Amino acid sequence: MADLTKLTPGQRTLLQGNEAIARGALEAGVSLAAAYPGNPSSEILESLADSAASAGIYVEWSANEKVALEAAAGASFTGLRAMASMKQNGVNVCQDFICNLTISGTKGGIVLVTADDPGSISSTNEQDARFIAKLAELPLLEPSTPAECLAMMRFAFELSEQIGNLVVLRSISRLSHTRAGVTPGPLPASRPRPYWDPKVAWHTLPTVPRHRVMLEKLAQAGRIMSAAGFNAYRGPERPELLVIASASSALYAGEARDRLGVASRVGLLKLGCTWPLDEALLLKHLASTEQILFAEEVDPFIEDGVKALYAQHAPELGVKRFFGAATGHTPPVGELSPDVLASALGQILGREPATVDPAYLERVAERVAALVPPREFGFCPGCPHRASFWAMKQVLAVDGRDGLVSGDIGCYSLAMLPTGFKRANAVHCMGSGPGVAGGLGQLRGQGFTQPVITTVGDSTFFHAALPAIINARWNRSDFVLVVLDNSATAMTGFQPHPGTGQTATGREGTQLDPETVLKALGVPCQVVDPYDMQATQQALYDAVQASGGVRALILRRVCALVQNKRGGHPYTMSVDQDKCRGQDCGCHRFCSRVFRCPGLFFDEAAGKAMIDPVVCVGCGVCTQICPAGAIQAEPRKEAAA
Amino acid sequence: MGAAAELPAAEACLDRLLSQVIAEGLCVACGACLGLCPHLIFLDGRVAAPDACGLSEGRCIDLCPLDPAPEPAARRQRLHQALGSSYLPPIGPVQQAWQGRAPAADLQGKAQYGGVVSELLSLALEEGLVGEAVVTVAGQRGAPQGARARNRQEVLAAAGSIYAGGGALGELNRALAEPTDHPLAVVGLPCQVLAAANMKAHPRYPAAAQRLGLVVGLFCTMNLPARALRGLLKEEGVQGPVLKSDFPPPPAGVFQVWTQAGLRELPIAKLRDIRFPGCAFCPDLTAELADLSVGACEGRPGLNTILVRTPAGAALIERARERGRLELEPAAAESMAHLKQAAENKRARAAQARTERQHG
Repeated sequence: MADLTKLTPGQRTLLQGNEAIARGALEAGVSLAAAYPGNPSSEILESLADSAASAGIYVEWSANEKVALEAAAGASFTGLRAMASMKQNGVNVCQDFICNLTISGTKGGIVLVTADDPGSISSTNEQDARFIAKLAELPLLEPSTPAECLAMMRFAFELSEQIGNLVVLRSISRLSHTRAGVTPGPLPASRPRPYWDPKVAWHTLPTVPRHRVMLEKLAQAGRIMSAAGFNAYRGPERPELLVIASASSALYAGEARDRLGVASRVGLLKLGCTWPLDEALLLKHLASTEQILFAEEVDPFIEDGVKALYAQHAPELGVKRFFGAATGHTPPVGELSPDVLASALGQILGREPATVDPAYLERVAERVAALVPPREFGFCPGCPHRASFWAMKQVLAVDGRDGLVSGDIGCYSLAMLPTGFKRANAVHCMGSGPGVAGGLGQLRGQGFTQPVITTVGDSTFFHAALPAIINARWNRSDFVLVVLDNSATAMTGFQPHPGTGQTATGREGTQLDPETVLKALGVPCQVVDPYDMQATQQALYDAVQASGGVRALILRRVCALVQNKRGGHPYTMSVDQDKCRGQDCGCHRFCSRVFRCPGLFFDEAAGKAMIDPVVCVGCGVCTQICPAGAIQAEPRKEAAA
Repeated sequence: MGAAAELPAAEACLDRLLSQVIAEGLCVACGACLGLCPHLIFLDGRVAAPDACGLSEGRCIDLCPLDPAPEPAARRQRLHQALGSSYLPPIGPVQQAWQGRAPAADLQGKAQYGGVVSELLSLALEEGLVGEAVVTVAGQRGAPQGARARNRQEVLAAAGSIYAGGGALGELNRALAEPTDHPLAVVGLPCQVLAAANMKAHPRYPAAAQRLGLVVGLFCTMNLPARALRGLLKEEGVQGPVLKSDFPPPPAGVFQVWTQAGLRELPIAKLRDIRFPGCAFCPDLTAELADLSVGACEGRPGLNTILVRTPAGAALIERARERGRLELEPAAAESMAHLKQAAENKRARAAQARTERQHG
């Protein structure tokens, strides 16, 4: 990412939503920023890390989101402005801390940025993290554009200091990753010196009185937010239909209204401050119309809030008709779009939205499908996880006791798909792999005989797996822990983690290795290179055959993409066309169909397997799976060690 | 249209093997299906196929001796006919019956009983009758696996019986796939000898018919899954690697195991509990489809019984006798009678097991 301190104040520039969030934080004078990577949030901290030296601030990738927010809170207690950013899942990780911090209160401005992922573009769930604001009674801001990202971040820090509590800003994938013109403001000339007056204590006791104070803070926030100018109405004075929208949905609603040509009939109330709701504003607009449509992603967060408000004032407001997730006019899952909202508007207003002829769409889809090669989620060429899950597949098949793999979060979550031979039987959240395995491993006494393997990546190992491993060790559960150590937080963009020893800003950190941690816990541990399929298979089989207690296997091989950056892999691969048995292999294209490395394909014309020299990275693993020995690896002269 | 779309819609061969043999618990780890394609894998005495192959005309199910589809007697009659011999229950065709031993000093204490199999293989290799012999050796974790012997030393390394499924025929398939033309020998249990006959008679396996020059059968009392045997020995407190094991002929009723700590005897009932379920359906005590079959000699622990079944078997025996490599005497009539009775008993037990299975 770019050093955002180099932007010229007042000069309009193109910024990604996440960059605008980071720039807003810098303009607000943030002194500490911490995060755990996760799409779509990662670029926020990456931008801040690349700006840290120029700005003179501290930025870190933390071991997990809870630690990140706690670090930010520490800075806040000293009077500094601080922030933690994360994807929606991360909010769950730090929820316990949030629900206590909101009672203890804060000093320096502190902002939690959650970047949600409607449509689950790169997530294991589609959770609407806005509910943390209701749960913990925190102010919530929802920007619609990168410019608003910047402005709202500046405002969020101010608001936090004014009320003495955490403020939540919610982005979404489309906003975090869109680029638009933003006019940066000035950066602060100085920041306060951190100091924590030892006479001041930050805690939650006495809880009930402090809870009352917390609610007063929220009410105060509501008053400040209503004057902030982030809520805006565009439309006729007495619209036939009022659309209440937030975030990108507000832009979609405007586009849908224009497309249908109903600007004179439809009013658009765009809310940027979505908790607490601006009751006066809403009551005014509810009084001006008979029909209301809600446009928001994912859950009916605003919809339910407005309906609750309406219920309190129904006698004065009279009968209204509400449309949204509850009536099926907007979907409660996935992303919204101008098309979806045009359809909803048309349905309510009795206007047929201008749509493309379905037959035409069908023809286009057919033509496009013919041009685009099938492309599924898959491990990269040379990915060590392919070799690791190959070993798990082979070993559990030959073991013959219906063994299970309790998966976890990372690139290797893809093992639930054909690329990983569908060898992950369960995948939920960070650290849940060994947790679930721990429970399974306690069922031996009740007749559960299936072997259990759990997989965690190296970053996940430090993020959330350790408590589950400790629990299993303590309670003597019975499973095989496989640490898929590719020396990177690969899924989210190769951010460093405790196992890599590097830090967010490039400063050298202390490298921790999983085997030392495991040995300290008394977990027997063996390190194997997954590229050595025979050795991996043998070690894994032995670990599966052993029983009683947790035993670990660290399958260590650097991420193929990281290796590419380090000078590449050692081999140039080829398929000996004379040796390749082609259709007569008796294996029905074993290499390209079953092993599924994208670097291998079957040449229909030649009737033989081939290496795609553009895609193949030269890891050499596939030489071990060809029954004819036709796949050959020639050492590359220029290869890195 | 891609070749994949041209695949016949018939049930895949591998699916049949998985559903009719492996999932049914019938597999005895002979290895006949191994080494033909990469789908079938073998580890620690177990055969598995984690992926679908999609081909309907693979040989794996055709070669399987446990394929329940052909009626056993009809299959054996067909194979004898294909090999030019006769189906003659209860112990198959026998041109000559001997009892004897190999006097060579280097075999003493290593080979089973009289060391006849090791000596015959060694002789066949030395005199170029075969280029390689596929045998069973103890591999990782003591589990048996196929190996190739090319000289006497390698034969001696494989000497002694391993009463656990070793998948050795996978090694035979791999040897037959190599671009060489030297004849091969294989030593196997009755199930493996039946599979070897399947290979030689298979219309799409010309290499087997051309190169499988010598099939030596072993009398088989019982074949055991490697993992279960290891578990039983652990349970019984038998420590360390097994140096030698034996089912001495009736009425011993025990399984003998030698380790560094000495001899341990386990009741044969405990072994029956863990044996391959598929063995219950085997009617063949003496490997009837071999060129010659070798086993224990009743009441004579230092000797083998040898049943010579084919001209190739007879020629090898004759050569061994001429070279002084074997000391032979005609098999005792009483011993042969007992052998036939034991074979009849096994045949009857198999028939009963098959009937019970068919009728649930």
